[in-house]
Amino acid sequence: MESFFVRYRNVLVLLAILLAQIVGLAMQVRRGSAGHSSLDSRDGSSVRLIRLWADELVTPPERLIHNSKLGVLWVWNNYFYLRDVRQQNRDLQNTIDRLRLEQAALLEDARQGQRLQALLGFQEKYIYSTIAAQAIGTSGSSQSRVFYIDKGEDAHLKPDMAVITGDGIVGKVRDVFPHTAQVLAINDQTSGAGVILQTTRLRGILRGNADGQLMIVGILADERIQPGEVVLTAGGDLVFPRGLPVGTVEKVRRDPDRDAFIQVMVKPAAHLDRLDEVLVITSTQPRFSDQQQKDIATSQAMKGAEAEAIKEQAIQEQLKASQINAERLPGLTDPNAPAASQAGAAQPAKPGQPGSETSAPAAGPPAPKLLPTIHPDRFSPGAAPAPDTGADSNSAPKTGTSPTPQPPPERNP
Amino acid sequence: MSLLGADFRRDMEIHRYPLLVYALVPLTALVLQAWLPRVLGNYAWFDLPLVVTVYFALGRRSPIQGTIMGAAMGLFEDALSHHAIGVNGIAKTVVGFLAASVGIRIDVENYTIRLLLNFLLSLLSSAIFLFVYRVLLGLDLEWDWLTQLFIAIGNSVVALILFPLLDRFQIRE
Repeated sequence: MESFFVRYRNVLVLLAILLAQIVGLAMQVRRGSAGHSSLDSRDGSSVRLIRLWADELVTPPERLIHNSKLGVLWVWNNYFYLRDVRQQNRDLQNTIDRLRLEQAALLEDARQGQRLQALLGFQEKYIYSTIAAQAIGTSGSSQSRVFYIDKGEDAHLKPDMAVITGDGIVGKVRDVFPHTAQVLAINDQTSGAGVILQTTRLRGILRGNADGQLMIVGILADERIQPGEVVLTAGGDLVFPRGLPVGTVEKVRRDPDRDAFIQVMVKPAAHLDRLDEVLVITSTQPRFSDQQQKDIATSQAMKGAEAEAIKEQAIQEQLKASQINAERLPGLTDPNAPAASQAGAAQPAKPGQPGSETSAPAAGPPAPKLLPTIHPDRFSPGAAPAPDTGADSNSAPKTGTSPTPQPPPERNP
Repeated sequence: MSLLGADFRRDMEIHRYPLLVYALVPLTALVLQAWLPRVLGNYAWFDLPLVVTVYFALGRRSPIQGTIMGAAMGLFEDALSHHAIGVNGIAKTVVGFLAASVGIRIDVENYTIRLLLNFLLSLLSSAIFLFVYRVLLGLDLEWDWLTQLFIAIGNSVVALILFPLLDRFQIRE
């Protein structure tokens, strides 16, 4: 028996190590109800521990190499290559001043837009807070397009945060370690992002292929899609905010697996294979910095004073116009009529109410000036039956020019 | 008699290195493999941990040591990726075992053999990776054999430069 183990010890060790790894793999893979296998998106604690060890071992040398490179560049740029720096500094300062004011106005607009969208029930997300990070390493495997950044739990990063550059989206945070984080690039086979084509408004899912190229899948064959069309994030994946640039359509080809569908190859907007500095979107809720708050307050104060002045001017102009109109319009009251009759016409006196005639308000509506009737009949003002003429409050006031009332002619059936 | 002769020859040709080399060379290979793709982008057609595994397995001529080294390097690579831990581990375990087993029987000082061995073992490693991923785990994975071919060629070229360099660290008795 001993000779068996001695003789086959090499093969036995090989089998033991292979078996241990197969068992470990089996524990990481989950088989779904439909028979499809899948890896857990979140690592188990033991797997995460192994990843953490590997990260802790590799990251310090990588950080050292990266920092050395940055140090050399810094020394070169700050102590040797200084041509025209003073002039550039002045120009940049001017640009900063101008951009700060513009940014304040844009932030205000963004805030207002968000309020309006909240009123309309939209769930639009804006990027309000990002953290800059340096890409320090990769997985080293062409089958796993992940890279590492030099910010982790210490910078409050969390899984599924979007990672972008100024050019476009890059990926999402997959795993967070104490001082680093693993980012799954958008050109990995297992990644996925909701995108929309800017012109045709077609939606699809963005993912990578074996060569690390970006492609949109899940789109029905459509001849409207042309190379050069801009691709943006759709915002439905709960990772990337809507409207971020993804890239441009490079070419369209038929999906080999599904006849009715096509694959849209996309040229990424960000340089995915040469990443240095990236931004991690840590918040899509409004949270302005102190400086931004000050700028907004300044902008609002400036806008408020301006608005008040405009409003005052508008009121003055309106008053002036109404006065001119009042002067030009024909008078509705007889300037020669006695004040009492005007008052009585305006506010009819109530019988039995003391002082009712004198209590009519002076500023009441003007009484209409009645013109003399040319052919009076019984319906003419002042032609009412005589006995209660003076007591009828609804009757029109008599004028000196009113003709004598005539009885209406008899009509025979 | 011939067996004894072979054992004697094998013992005489076992390469020995300072302990620091055993520790630093694999670590450097892993770090460079993780860092160089940032500089070279999609043209990083090599697998330094695999080359180092093959080198030490061939030099030490011990299948057990080759197996353990391959497993360690592969698991390390898996840990840095987002794949299941063990896929590369299995591939490089087999490669380490085979390289050491072959090293017992052939003259590994020959540059042509080194080149050929690296090329073939690289392709074998890719094939095992694909087998484990698709068959054992049943996961979907797009595969590009042309890239794997370039990687195998790149590994051979790297081995051509790296092996003589590492030979300088051998302990000569």
